[in-house]
Amino acid sequence: MRKTALEQKGLFFWVLLVIVLVLVLLPLYWIFVTAMKSPVENISRTPIFVPHELYLQNFVKVIQGGFFGNLFNTVFVAFFSTLFSLALSFLAGYALSRHRFPFRFNTVFLVWVLAVKILPPVVLAIPLYTLFASAHLLNNLPGLVLVYQVYTLPYCIWMLFGFFKALPVEYEQAARIDGASDLGILAYIVFPLMRSGVIATSIFSIIMAWDEFLFALLFLRNPHLETLPLLIVNFITEYETLWGNLMAIGLLATLPLLLFSGYVYRRMTTGFTMSLK
Amino acid sequence: MHRDFARNRFYYLILFPAFAVIVFLTVYPVIQVFVNSFYKYNYLNDVRLPYGFTNYVTIIKDDLFRTAFANTIVFSVIATAVEVSLGFFLALLFYGFFPGKRIAMIIVVFPMMVSTMVICAVWRTLYQFDIGLLNYLLKLAGIAPVGWLNDPHVALFSVILVDIWQWTPFAFIIVQAGLLSIQREVFEAASIDGAGYFQTIFRVTIPILWSQILLVILLRTIDTFRIFAKVFALTGGGPGNSTETVSMYIYREGFVYFNLGRASTVSVYTLAVIALIAIVYIRQILKGDET
Repeated sequence: MRKTALEQKGLFFWVLLVIVLVLVLLPLYWIFVTAMKSPVENISRTPIFVPHELYLQNFVKVIQGGFFGNLFNTVFVAFFSTLFSLALSFLAGYALSRHRFPFRFNTVFLVWVLAVKILPPVVLAIPLYTLFASAHLLNNLPGLVLVYQVYTLPYCIWMLFGFFKALPVEYEQAARIDGASDLGILAYIVFPLMRSGVIATSIFSIIMAWDEFLFALLFLRNPHLETLPLLIVNFITEYETLWGNLMAIGLLATLPLLLFSGYVYRRMTTGFTMSLK
Repeated sequence: MHRDFARNRFYYLILFPAFAVIVFLTVYPVIQVFVNSFYKYNYLNDVRLPYGFTNYVTIIKDDLFRTAFANTIVFSVIATAVEVSLGFFLALLFYGFFPGKRIAMIIVVFPMMVSTMVICAVWRTLYQFDIGLLNYLLKLAGIAPVGWLNDPHVALFSVILVDIWQWTPFAFIIVQAGLLSIQREVFEAASIDGAGYFQTIFRVTIPILWSQILLVILLRTIDTFRIFAKVFALTGGGPGNSTETVSMYIYREGFVYFNLGRASTVSVYTLAVIALIAIVYIRQILKGDET
């Protein structure tokens, strides 16, 4: 087989590849190594690339400072935001892909949802703040889960809608002829077929909620409720120089995702390519 | 007939929850923003008076708003252009087989999986003027230290650089997916016809991938236009107002000064700009939807 112009990998290719990998890995390595350095090493005039000894005090301090509480808040919010969005958008996506509502409502709704995806969240922040304040939903995690639907729900609706459209209706028709109910079809026929689509959708939804900062900043005032992004920002502004502790938080907050990066990567790629269709 | 009715009702029922949440979280607030933009409205002392177009006039004359707007455009255009170009470049680099490809791909996509705030934290340490790694490396190369986050002429670009580091992989993934969907024969034919490397790229690859590239451009434009968290964590809008963006401006008006009227007016201006981008974007999405 003849190699095309794009496929030839010469020396130049390897040089470029190494440069790219170094640029990507350097900041990541810096997170790692800073977390392992003692405070003295961290403020050394000549940056230290390899710590003289493994300094684990940073992790101890961070954990004593209540890291797991913040981690729990983040996991709670990311998990329930995603679960809630998946449930709503699974139902809505199915309805939109299988039924033609009057007045071109399908298109109107999907375009509106798309517009919400485009909207800068800060635009919604002020009215939502006053609304949530009067409903006593500020300063609690379920309130945050609800407001995160601004991000996760439009994304999930579009993704699952795409997966539903790609799913042949023949299975459902066959089940219907056999006398299955609508709900039964949805639960026992459609859901198992959609499993990989649902997983792909959930990954990025979890990342979005895990990473969200603006609404967490505005809606949470109690330090015990802070999510990790908020914890990190407060740390940056209050203890600028405690880099070891800061990076220990960063490393602990990133580890879960990096450990599963192979898996996440595969799912994310399907997710993205799907969301473009 | 009766069964049809039951079936229809089922579809209405399952659509309703998502519909209700979307309306509650977006329709009401957007209306609220439009209404409030015509009021002199301070949340703290609870003053809410009709104000006509006064907010609209004073804000468009406000120097800080103009700076914020200009910075946002600069941020959005440069970040998007570089991310998409680099993403395209990476996709070309990774095209075809080479040993270690799988590992290299996962590494390149890492930045997208790291939390934005962790990224900001590590870049702050890298950017640190006296003891940061970047200025140390510059010193080794014999270059004077740069005030990455302290110099008003540089700070905005430093924030852009962080965004590029984080989101180039996104452009990469999508362009790559497009590239893999092109039949290999297309490149073979180009090669047989004597097309060189750059001709293959500009005459064959880019035209075929154009709709995908356009989508990435739009997605990154939309996302960078709302830039908030990075500015907040890296510079707080400073030094001076050199990294002030529209989102920061709305945040400050709304949640530091509690001028909800003014904040709403800026929001409406933002919506107007976003609507322009949105129209192109939605067209593109719906076009893909019909095929």
